[in-house]
Amino acid sequence: MNAKKWLSIVLTASMIMILLAACGKGNSNNDSSASPAASPSGSASPSASASAAPADLKGHLVIWTYFDQVKQMADKFTEAHPGVKIDVQIFPGDQYETKLMTALQSGRNVPDIIDLDRGYIGKFLESKFLADLSAMGGEDLVKSYLPYVQAYGRSPDGKLKAISDNSSPGGFWYVRESAKKWLGTDDPDKISSMVDSWDKVIELGKKVAKDSGGKVHLIQSASALNDIMSYNTASWVKDGKLNIDPKWKDTYETELKIRANNVDAKLPFMSAGWGSALNDGSVILTSMPSWAVFMVDNKDGKAKGKFGVAKTPQGFFLGGRYEGIYEKSPNKELAYEVMKFIASPEWQKYNLEKTGNMPGNATVFDQNQDTFKSDLFGDQLILKTYADQMKAMPALQANKYDEGILSKWGKVAGDGLEKGASYDQVVAAFKKEVKNTYPELQVE
Amino acid sequence: MKSKVNKSAYGYLFISPFFIGYAVIGLVPILYTFYLSLTKWDGFTDPVYVGLSNYQRLLHDSFFFQTIGNTLIIWIFSIVPQLILALLLALILNEKFIRGKHFFRAVFYFPNLISAVTLGVLFSLIFDWQTGAVNKMLMNIGLLHDPINWLKDPWWSRAIAAAVTCWQYFGFNLIVFIAGMQSIPAEVFEAAEVDGATKRQMVFKITLPLLRQVFMFTFITSVIGGLQLFDGPLMLGDGPGNTARTMIMYLYETAFKAFDYSYGAATAYGIFIIIMVFTAITARASRLKE
Repeated sequence: MNAKKWLSIVLTASMIMILLAACGKGNSNNDSSASPAASPSGSASPSASASAAPADLKGHLVIWTYFDQVKQMADKFTEAHPGVKIDVQIFPGDQYETKLMTALQSGRNVPDIIDLDRGYIGKFLESKFLADLSAMGGEDLVKSYLPYVQAYGRSPDGKLKAISDNSSPGGFWYVRESAKKWLGTDDPDKISSMVDSWDKVIELGKKVAKDSGGKVHLIQSASALNDIMSYNTASWVKDGKLNIDPKWKDTYETELKIRANNVDAKLPFMSAGWGSALNDGSVILTSMPSWAVFMVDNKDGKAKGKFGVAKTPQGFFLGGRYEGIYEKSPNKELAYEVMKFIASPEWQKYNLEKTGNMPGNATVFDQNQDTFKSDLFGDQLILKTYADQMKAMPALQANKYDEGILSKWGKVAGDGLEKGASYDQVVAAFKKEVKNTYPELQVE
Repeated sequence: MKSKVNKSAYGYLFISPFFIGYAVIGLVPILYTFYLSLTKWDGFTDPVYVGLSNYQRLLHDSFFFQTIGNTLIIWIFSIVPQLILALLLALILNEKFIRGKHFFRAVFYFPNLISAVTLGVLFSLIFDWQTGAVNKMLMNIGLLHDPINWLKDPWWSRAIAAAVTCWQYFGFNLIVFIAGMQSIPAEVFEAAEVDGATKRQMVFKITLPLLRQVFMFTFITSVIGGLQLFDGPLMLGDGPGNTARTMIMYLYETAFKAFDYSYGAATAYGIFIIIMVFTAITARASRLKE
């Protein structure tokens, strides 16, 4: 064989190897969590590690999240435990869920700690991939929690599988100046009592529409009721059957009345118009989760003290982020230390002050409700506004269907509202959608 | 007669990277998708073989059939003005006396450089019924008294989805048409001119007939592309009663929102068959005219 042939063989072989190496690269970045150096030295019983001195903890953890503020938590944790290194990998956007599912299914490159959004946590809680935190002593961590926050991290058999450091309470946010002009007051307690039922909302909304010549609306959208009611109604699935809580009928009919009386500005949640109305006060009350401060234009602190927050007719929460431990992680005990950290009142108080994220631990609510103030809300004690409703929220458990079915309801009811369709028409269209997406459910 | 070309076996080695790459990146996923379509798989548990039940479900899925109709409507709304606009501009920009034609060709091609997602977001903002520029403009000039909720109307939402595609691709088709026109020999036009043909006659008797192959190319590629409409319409939403949901949007929602991967895989094969049928019809129609 001459030199030319050898050269051609070598070149071809190199090209094939480069190609195969490129294809395999995704997997070669292998399981950092499986690194032998990753095992914590404090690997005795959970109670032993709970009392472990900071210097005793050593190891390396990988966290996957979609939320950049997790880095702050990791920094704070490693500040207290310098022997621990935490690699926070952030995957913003809705592809995070797909990426996580693929990693878990393949069992490769799976992080030690997994962030889960409330929107899709249900199916993860029902899966085999999350460690049982109850068995690791997790019940102690959540014993002072708001009931609904701890319940949402449990699997159907009641085991604690994920913990949240936030509670995402919701309320009516308002521009004080606008409230004074149209409602005659900017006092949160007075406004809360003016809108403590949907009938009162409709009556007040009619008055605002009349006084303003139809230019100002009391609320952003009638569809916001769906978010408020979603955690005040029974699960959408009961014994494998679609279950439509009768409260949805009242809710939809109230939405129709709101729309018919020009009470709402018909602005879709978090749309551009919705954001403008929130900031300029052309809509008086906006139902908002506590974390949505990024929607406020606070350039150079111009929104300082501009807002107030009042109670909605029924308490609600929206969104929220939970953390769980990968069942096969070799660093479960060290990861559990992070769970203990995020559940602690110390971290949640720090997080509240630093980022404004409302705590999941009721103790933090109690200890800070008479003192905590936020720039946007001036002198208002906002924790106090949220506290009673949040403590009374039903402790619902997540499942793999509820959020998906809720979004179907929101879509169909929204379409119905535009057309002024009857409740029965909306239910018929809704059942068709549910039957199509979840053929395994019985739909009567 | 024996070929004199030296067909060394090493040639296969040199072309093998492409085929290996295609097998790994193209063929294996296609076959794996087919395997998935015969299973029930939610991404968590192991796939369970269920035979053809996903295909049976697909055949009875009225939502899927609705998306086929929506896609065809959006495609027709998009392709007709797209080709007319591209052809008219190509005829104009191909004229010798037009100044700055290179500049205009580049400008008309610009929308093709922007991603469909960006265009979708842009259109959703300008057609927002409360804050969008279109309603404000129409109301300011007195054409409208009340704003139109464009994206909540079945026909307007489809038309806007079509407009995004039309705006994105007419520049590309324009370039293709110009290339086609420039390949027509100048002698043909000169001979026509000598014979006293008018501009109009030259367009209808020379340019358009000789552009037939180019038309077929744009038509077939637009059938394939048009039936796969996804990112632009996704940004505009499903429309009321899912009237603006395209086939690929439905596939995406099934596989990556409801995480029913196996039914999503069957839907993908259903779409593949539909595109194949339409492409075959288009190709057949082109042959009939020859």
